Amino acid sequence: MKEQVIRFEINGEKAEVYADPTLSLLHLLRSRFNLIGTKEGCRKGECGTCTVLLDGQAVNSCLVPAGKVEGKKVLTIEGVTREGALKGKRVHPLQQSFVEKGAVQCGFCTPGMVMSAYALLRDNPSPSPEQVREAISGNLCRCSGYKQIEEAVLEAAKTMQEKQG
Amino acid sequence: MSYMVAASLEQALKILHEKGGNVQVIAGGTDLYLKKPLPDLVDVSSVPEILGICRDEGMLSIGAGVTHTEAAASAVIQSEAEALAEACRRVGSPQVRNMGTIGGNLVNAAPAADAAVALVALGAKALLVNHAGSSREAFVEDLYAGYNCSYVDGSSEILLRFLVEPCGQGMGSAFMRFAPREALSLPLVNSAAFVRLRENIIEEVRVVIAPVKPAPTRLVETEKLVLGCKPGEDIWRKVEYTAASEVEVRGSLLRCSEEYRYHLVGVLARRALKKAVERALNRQRR
Repeated sequence: MKEQVIRFEINGEKAEVYADPTLSLLHLLRSRFNLIGTKEGCRKGECGTCTVLLDGQAVNSCLVPAGKVEGKKVLTIEGVTREGALKGKRVHPLQQSFVEKGAVQCGFCTPGMVMSAYALLRDNPSPSPEQVREAISGNLCRCSGYKQIEEAVLEAAKTMQEKQG
Repeated sequence: MSYMVAASLEQALKILHEKGGNVQVIAGGTDLYLKKPLPDLVDVSSVPEILGICRDEGMLSIGAGVTHTEAAASAVIQSEAEALAEACRRVGSPQVRNMGTIGGNLVNAAPAADAAVALVALGAKALLVNHAGSSREAFVEDLYAGYNCSYVDGSSEILLRFLVEPCGQGMGSAFMRFAPREALSLPLVNSAAFVRLRENIIEEVRVVIAPVKPAPTRLVETEKLVLGCKPGEDIWRKVEYTAASEVEVRGSLLRCSEEYRYHLVGVLARRALKKAVERALNRQRR
């Protein structure tokens, strides 16, 4: 496999890596950048636990060849955490809300859930419950159930709105 | 194995030409990337010619590289090609819709690809260009070579755009689908319909159902039945019966029984056609 230089932006910082462009973005993030918050689940775009934002849109990083991210912006769960830290918190309000609402059980789906919710709230700061359900419809959770996750996202939307206002 | 990102159509065609068939066009990649082993790839997703939705001599010109998310959210497609917007909204999951393109949905040639089913009902034409630079036009329904196999040769040509007649006065379309779950679920059956009415009489109709054959399938008998008719309660029951009678379906352990699929074919064909007629009537009144 021929390696090539891939330049992109990751969590707000410029990155340059010499890698096989047909490697998945998921594996690029985990093996080359040690960003292991993004999880590998089904490896075929069905579970959503590998969700990251590519140019602001939620995508399954397991389905994105690394060559595709050339010149693009990638945001991972680590970037979301850092966004919270920059505001003096331990984590992002969305993550805090997941903890408070009991939306985390085994935690394996959580990074993907948070990323899908983050993408939603960025475009739509006060979503309806239906819109939350649609936004996380590409993310499977097999333990906590979706109710708490939906509540956590709605609660986070409220907190984030209050802070802005 | 290599991965080349083409910045322009010219560059993409040049790569196809030089590689002489030993390369594969990739757009969103949500289907192609799962195929192993991967061939050399040329990424066309940022080629301007395959992007955007515009009008071209009275037709809607929809880029093959338009994602399902873009198509579903497009005000023009929502109002003038409803079936396509409805179909794109139901594909995979938000993540898949954000990457996957409607061109890819067709070229991947899955028998019940939602967007492709809607495009067939809308009578869409595909615009293609090959490595030598010569272009051709073909009806979407004629581009299926077999099960998961397209006449679009991804190693030597690029699907550029779809041309769809916008639904104007007396015209309407609709898409229906039944699947075990709301998201991330292949349809047991899907259906799309298009009608054109003149003085309340159906003068043009296309009803499509899938998966019953390797390609989205026109319900020819059902179309004949309603052509020239004034749509009313009496024909809907006949539509349901005729639709289910003119296809042959199989049951599968994974999806559903044969009986249930026959039932769904009838019901969804009727609902899609009825909805398309309702929309056409609404447009007539305006």
